[in-house]
Amino acid sequence: MSVVNYGTREITCKIVYYGPGRSGKTTNLQHVYSKLPEERKGKMVSLATETDRTLFFDFLPLDLGTISGFATRFQLYTVPGQVYYAATRKLVLQGVDGVVFVADSQSRQMAENVESLQDLHANLAEEGHDPRSIPLVMQYNKRDLPGSEISSVEELDETLNFRGVPHFSATAITGGGVFETLRSISTLVLSRLSAPATRT
Amino acid sequence: MAKETRKEDEGGEFAEFLADVSEEIALRVESLQTPSQPVPAEKKKTPVVADGGVIVEWPNIADRMIEEMR
Repeated sequence: MSVVNYGTREITCKIVYYGPGRSGKTTNLQHVYSKLPEERKGKMVSLATETDRTLFFDFLPLDLGTISGFATRFQLYTVPGQVYYAATRKLVLQGVDGVVFVADSQSRQMAENVESLQDLHANLAEEGHDPRSIPLVMQYNKRDLPGSEISSVEELDETLNFRGVPHFSATAITGGGVFETLRSISTLVLSRLSAPATRT
Repeated sequence: MAKETRKEDEGGEFAEFLADVSEEIALRVESLQTPSQPVPAEKKKTPVVADGGVIVEWPNIADRMIEEMR
Protein backbone atom coordinates (compact mmCIF):
# COMPACT_ATOMS: atom_id res chain seq x y z
CA MET A 1 0.00 0.00 0.00
CA SER A 2 1.29 3.42 -0.89
CA VAL A 3 1.52 5.42 2.30
CA VAL A 4 1.73 8.84 0.67
CA ASN A 5 0.24 9.84 -2.66
CA TYR A 6 1.46 13.21 -3.87
CA GLY A 7 -0.81 13.12 -6.89
CA THR A 8 -4.05 12.95 -4.94
CA ARG A 9 -2.56 14.58 -1.83
CA GLU A 10 -3.53 11.65 0.35
CA ILE A 11 -1.85 9.78 3.14
CA THR A 12 -3.31 6.39 3.91
CA CYS A 13 -1.94 4.08 6.55
CA LYS A 14 -3.11 0.55 7.15
CA ILE A 15 -2.46 -0.73 10.65
CA VAL A 16 -3.28 -4.29 11.61
CA TYR A 17 -3.81 -5.52 15.15
CA TYR A 18 -2.50 -9.06 15.29
CA GLY A 19 -2.38 -11.59 18.12
CA PRO A 20 -3.89 -14.76 19.50
CA GLY A 21 -7.61 -15.25 20.00
CA ARG A 22 -9.13 -13.30 22.89
CA SER A 23 -6.02 -11.19 23.45
CA GLY A 24 -7.99 -7.96 23.10
CA LYS A 25 -7.52 -6.79 19.52
CA THR A 26 -11.17 -5.91 18.97
CA THR A 27 -11.30 -4.26 22.39
CA ASN A 28 -8.49 -1.95 21.29
CA LEU A 29 -10.46 -0.81 18.27
CA GLN A 30 -13.64 -0.44 20.29
CA HIS A 31 -11.86 1.86 22.70
CA VAL A 32 -10.43 3.99 19.89
CA TYR A 33 -13.88 4.16 18.33
CA SER A 34 -15.45 5.17 21.63
CA LYS A 35 -13.10 8.14 21.86
CA LEU A 36 -13.73 9.52 18.39
CA PRO A 37 -15.58 12.83 18.25
CA GLU A 38 -18.99 12.49 16.64
CA GLU A 39 -18.01 14.36 13.48
CA ARG A 40 -15.23 11.89 12.79
CA LYS A 41 -17.16 8.76 13.62
CA GLY A 42 -17.57 6.54 10.66
CA LYS A 43 -18.75 3.04 11.13
CA MET A 44 -16.75 0.44 12.92
CA VAL A 45 -17.45 -2.85 11.26
CA SER A 46 -17.10 -5.88 13.42
CA LEU A 47 -18.13 -9.31 12.32
CA ALA A 48 -18.45 -11.55 15.32
CA THR A 49 -19.91 -14.87 16.25
CA GLU A 50 -22.66 -15.18 18.86
CA THR A 51 -20.00 -15.60 21.50
CA ASP A 52 -18.33 -12.35 20.43
CA ARG A 53 -15.35 -13.97 18.76
CA THR A 54 -14.15 -12.08 15.72
CA LEU A 55 -15.31 -14.09 12.75
CA PHE A 56 -13.74 -12.27 9.83
CA PHE A 57 -12.08 -9.04 10.86
CA ASP A 58 -12.79 -5.66 12.41
CA PHE A 59 -12.35 -2.51 10.40
CA LEU A 60 -12.20 1.00 11.78
CA PRO A 61 -11.59 3.84 9.31
CA LEU A 62 -10.07 6.90 10.95
CA ASP A 63 -10.49 10.03 8.88
CA LEU A 64 -8.09 12.52 10.42
CA GLY A 65 -8.97 15.35 8.06
CA THR A 66 -6.52 17.41 6.04
CA ILE A 67 -3.10 17.65 7.64
CA SER A 68 -0.42 19.77 6.00
CA GLY A 69 -2.42 19.68 2.78
CA PHE A 70 -2.87 15.93 2.77
CA ALA A 71 -6.15 14.14 3.35
CA THR A 72 -5.08 11.68 6.02
CA ARG A 73 -6.74 8.37 6.70
CA PHE A 74 -5.78 5.57 9.02
CA GLN A 75 -7.36 2.20 8.53
CA LEU A 76 -7.30 -0.03 11.59
CA TYR A 77 -7.91 -3.73 11.16
CA THR A 78 -7.90 -6.73 13.43
CA VAL A 79 -7.43 -10.33 12.39
CA PRO A 80 -9.35 -13.28 13.80
CA GLY A 81 -7.02 -14.88 16.32
CA GLN A 82 -8.16 -18.46 16.11
CA VAL A 83 -5.71 -20.65 14.27
CA TYR A 84 -8.21 -21.91 11.72
CA TYR A 85 -8.71 -18.46 10.18
CA ALA A 86 -5.25 -18.44 8.64
CA ALA A 87 -6.48 -17.45 5.18
CA THR A 88 -8.31 -14.42 6.56
CA ARG A 89 -5.22 -13.25 8.41
CA LYS A 90 -3.18 -13.37 5.22
CA LEU A 91 -5.86 -11.41 3.42
CA VAL A 92 -6.00 -8.71 6.07
CA LEU A 93 -2.22 -8.36 6.06
CA GLN A 94 -2.15 -7.41 2.39
CA GLY A 95 -0.83 -3.89 2.00
CA VAL A 96 -0.16 -3.48 5.71
CA ASP A 97 1.97 -0.52 6.78
CA GLY A 98 2.34 -1.34 10.46
CA VAL A 99 1.43 -4.03 12.97
CA VAL A 100 0.39 -3.94 16.60
CA PHE A 101 0.95 -7.32 18.18
CA VAL A 102 -1.54 -7.68 21.03
CA ALA A 103 -0.22 -10.30 23.41
CA ASP A 104 -2.28 -11.84 26.19
CA SER A 105 -0.37 -11.35 29.44
CA GLN A 106 -1.83 -14.47 31.05
CA SER A 107 0.95 -16.94 31.74
CA ARG A 108 -1.08 -19.83 30.38
CA GLN A 109 -1.44 -17.99 27.07
CA MET A 110 2.27 -17.61 26.41
CA ALA A 111 2.41 -20.53 23.98
CA GLU A 112 -0.49 -19.00 22.01
CA ASN A 113 1.35 -15.68 21.90
CA VAL A 114 4.45 -17.32 20.52
CA GLU A 115 2.46 -19.31 17.97
CA SER A 116 0.63 -16.20 16.80
CA LEU A 117 3.86 -14.24 16.50
CA GLN A 118 5.38 -17.00 14.40
CA ASP A 119 2.22 -17.00 12.29
CA LEU A 120 2.56 -13.24 11.84
CA HIS A 121 6.15 -13.54 10.68
CA ALA A 122 5.31 -16.33 8.26
CA ASN A 123 2.38 -14.40 6.79
CA LEU A 124 4.34 -11.17 6.50
CA ALA A 125 7.10 -12.97 4.66
CA GLU A 126 4.55 -14.59 2.40
CA GLU A 127 3.11 -11.15 1.61
CA GLY A 128 6.54 -9.89 0.67
CA HIS A 129 7.22 -7.90 3.85
CA ASP A 130 10.40 -8.20 5.85
CA PRO A 131 9.24 -9.26 9.33
CA ARG A 132 12.44 -7.80 10.76
CA SER A 133 11.86 -4.30 9.48
CA ILE A 134 8.12 -3.67 9.16
CA PRO A 135 6.89 -1.12 11.74
CA LEU A 136 5.81 -3.15 14.78
CA VAL A 137 4.90 -2.44 18.37
CA MET A 138 4.07 -4.91 21.09
CA GLN A 139 1.15 -4.49 23.45
CA TYR A 140 1.01 -6.62 26.59
CA ASN A 141 -2.68 -6.60 27.37
CA LYS A 142 -4.72 -7.60 30.41
CA ARG A 143 -2.29 -6.12 32.92
CA ASP A 144 -5.24 -5.66 35.28
CA LEU A 145 -5.43 -9.40 36.01
CA PRO A 146 -4.00 -10.71 39.30
CA GLY A 147 -0.22 -10.88 39.34
CA SER A 148 -0.30 -14.61 39.93
CA GLU A 149 -2.04 -15.14 36.58
CA ILE A 150 0.09 -12.98 34.33
CA SER A 151 3.65 -13.01 33.11
CA SER A 152 5.86 -10.09 33.97
CA VAL A 153 6.51 -7.48 31.30
CA GLU A 154 10.16 -8.51 31.34
CA GLU A 155 9.25 -12.12 30.68
CA LEU A 156 6.89 -11.16 27.85
CA ASP A 157 9.51 -8.90 26.38
CA GLU A 158 12.18 -11.56 26.56
CA THR A 159 9.97 -14.19 24.95
CA LEU A 160 8.21 -12.12 22.30
CA ASN A 161 10.08 -8.92 21.65
CA PHE A 162 13.32 -10.12 20.13
CA ARG A 163 13.36 -7.14 17.76
CA GLY A 164 13.37 -4.78 20.72
CA VAL A 165 10.47 -2.73 19.33
CA PRO A 166 8.45 -0.34 21.52
CA HIS A 167 6.24 -2.22 23.97
CA PHE A 168 3.26 -1.09 26.02
CA SER A 169 1.40 -2.47 28.98
CA ALA A 170 -2.33 -2.19 28.45
CA THR A 171 -5.72 -2.81 29.90
CA ALA A 172 -7.70 -2.41 26.72
CA ILE A 173 -11.00 -3.14 28.42
CA THR A 174 -10.69 0.18 30.28
CA GLY A 175 -8.63 1.89 27.60
CA GLY A 176 -5.30 1.87 29.41
CA GLY A 177 -2.42 1.88 26.96
CA VAL A 178 -4.62 1.79 23.87
CA PHE A 179 -3.86 5.24 22.50
CA GLU A 180 -0.23 5.06 23.59
CA THR A 181 0.10 1.96 21.45
CA LEU A 182 -1.71 3.54 18.51
CA ARG A 183 0.38 6.69 18.75
CA SER A 184 3.58 4.67 18.72
CA ILE A 185 2.73 2.56 15.69
CA SER A 186 1.43 5.63 13.85
CA THR A 187 4.69 7.47 14.44
CA LEU A 188 6.69 4.49 13.26
CA VAL A 189 4.62 4.17 10.10
CA LEU A 190 4.73 7.89 9.35
CA SER A 191 8.47 8.00 9.91
CA ARG A 192 8.78 5.79 6.87
CA LEU A 193 7.10 8.28 4.60
CA SER A 194 9.40 8.63 1.69
CA ALA A 195 9.61 10.86 -1.30
CA PRO A 196 8.27 9.44 -4.54
CA ALA A 197 10.81 8.44 -7.14
CA THR A 198 10.07 11.52 -9.22
CA ARG A 199 8.42 14.77 -8.31
CA THR A 200 7.32 17.70 -10.39
CA MET B 1 -23.29 -8.26 13.01
CA ALA B 2 -22.06 -4.69 13.19
CA LYS B 3 -21.26 -3.37 16.60
CA GLU B 4 -20.82 0.23 17.65
CA THR B 5 -19.68 1.68 20.92
CA ARG B 6 -20.61 5.27 21.74
CA LYS B 7 -18.94 7.09 24.58
CA GLU B 8 -17.65 10.61 25.03
CA ASP B 9 -13.99 11.43 24.53
CA GLU B 10 -13.61 12.36 28.18
CA GLY B 11 -9.85 12.41 28.33
CA GLY B 12 -9.25 14.00 24.95
CA GLU B 13 -7.19 10.96 24.01
CA PHE B 14 -8.13 11.24 20.38
CA ALA B 15 -7.29 14.95 20.33
CA GLU B 16 -3.85 14.22 21.75
CA PHE B 17 -3.34 11.45 19.24
CA LEU B 18 -4.40 13.71 16.39
CA ALA B 19 -2.04 16.45 17.55
CA ASP B 20 0.89 14.03 17.64
CA VAL B 21 0.08 12.57 14.24
CA SER B 22 -0.37 16.04 12.75
CA GLU B 23 3.02 17.10 14.09
CA GLU B 24 4.68 14.02 12.65
CA ILE B 25 3.04 14.47 9.26
CA ALA B 26 3.90 18.16 9.14
CA LEU B 27 7.50 17.29 9.87
CA ARG B 28 7.64 14.61 7.22
CA VAL B 29 5.80 16.50 4.53
CA GLU B 30 7.96 19.56 5.10
CA SER B 31 11.13 17.59 4.72
CA LEU B 32 9.83 15.82 1.64
CA GLN B 33 8.68 19.03 -0.01
CA THR B 34 11.88 20.94 0.60
CA PRO B 35 13.54 21.40 -2.79
CA SER B 36 16.21 18.85 -3.10
CA GLN B 37 19.60 20.26 -2.30
CA PRO B 38 22.12 20.35 -5.11
CA VAL B 39 24.56 17.57 -4.83
CA PRO B 40 27.53 19.06 -3.05
CA ALA B 41 30.61 19.32 -5.15
CA GLU B 42 33.14 16.71 -4.43
CA LYS B 43 35.52 17.83 -1.77
CA LYS B 44 38.60 19.23 -3.26
CA LYS B 45 41.54 17.03 -2.96
CA THR B 46 44.20 18.05 -0.60
CA PRO B 47 47.17 19.21 -2.58
CA VAL B 48 49.59 16.45 -3.01
CA VAL B 49 52.75 17.32 -1.23
CA ALA B 50 55.95 15.80 -2.40
CA ASP B 51 58.88 15.09 -0.24
CA GLY B 52 60.43 18.27 0.97
CA GLY B 53 57.09 20.14 1.27
CA VAL B 54 56.82 21.14 -2.36
CA ILE B 55 53.21 21.15 -3.61
CA VAL B 56 53.24 19.29 -6.86
CA GLU B 57 49.50 19.05 -7.68
CA TRP B 58 46.67 21.53 -7.06
CA PRO B 59 43.00 20.77 -7.62
CA ASN B 60 41.48 22.51 -10.61
CA ILE B 61 42.10 26.23 -10.10
CA ALA B 62 38.86 27.36 -11.81
CA ASP B 63 36.77 25.21 -9.48
CA ARG B 64 38.51 26.72 -6.53
CA MET B 65 37.84 30.26 -7.75
CA ILE B 66 34.15 29.56 -8.28
CA GLU B 67 33.92 28.07 -4.85
CA GLU B 68 35.56 31.14 -3.32
CA MET B 69 33.03 33.46 -5.03
CA ARG B 70 29.99 31.63 -3.60
